[in-house]
Amino acid sequence: MNPDLDLALERVIRAPRRSVWTAWTEPARIEQWWVPAPAQARVERLDVRPGGGFVTRLSDDGVTFVPHVNACFIVVDDLERIVFTNAIDSAWRPASPAPVPMTAEITFGDHPDGTDYRIVVRHGDPAARAHHEKLGFADGWESVTGQLAALVERGAAR
Amino acid sequence: MAQYSDQLDGVFVALADPTRRAVIRRLGRGPASVGGLASEFPMALPSFIKHVRMLEGTGLIRTVKSGRVRTCMLNRERLALVDDWLAQQRRIWQDRTDRLERFVTDSAKDSQ
Repeated sequence: MNPDLDLALERVIRAPRRSVWTAWTEPARIEQWWVPAPAQARVERLDVRPGGGFVTRLSDDGVTFVPHVNACFIVVDDLERIVFTNAIDSAWRPASPAPVPMTAEITFGDHPDGTDYRIVVRHGDPAARAHHEKLGFADGWESVTGQLAALVERGAAR
Repeated sequence: MAQYSDQLDGVFVALADPTRRAVIRRLGRGPASVGGLASEFPMALPSFIKHVRMLEGTGLIRTVKSGRVRTCMLNRERLALVDDWLAQQRRIWQDRTDRLERFVTDSAKDSQ
């Protein structure tokens, strides 16, 4: 945990662990609570297994849906733990969500009153993002192409 | 909202550099001149001034010129954007947990 960047939540939910788990893992159920009303969520992909996609869309009017979450499950322990990140998208493509990427770890434990529900959200170090921007893939390719152009042009002028 | 997220992006990128973080920490103790600050960092003045300009551009610091001396000071309000953002993320997850809790406890009642 980095207290400057991460957050943790704990809650005892008065419902069996299995119902909390299915509320997370069944599209028709997660759509019921994922976003605050009157907004509506629509699940595009909820492939709850390591490497599976997690894609939701969001609508304010129930008509037009815009991209919301595009993430990838990393760890799935049945009835116990779900970990997903938006640092790579549902197609495993490295992503740069703004302002920093995050990994969410949700754990489901037994509790005498129901379910011991815990969340840890780890946010990326901004240094990682800046490093990526500094590398500047576009700039890099531009200068390589520029060098190549200069080289072939010099060759052609001879 | 878009403007807020642009500002936040700028602040995160600005804070991602060790020199700029050190400048922010130093200015946390009080205003300082560009020359005075630069002497604390092992780099050429033009490179250092680039960092100062970047910090000024994101609004994290303000500079005032008086005669030949340019003084830098911290803009704490802008720095607070990071805390506000984290508080906002916490709220999102808390509200989400409230809704999940309501959803599963209501369904439990329905099935009884």
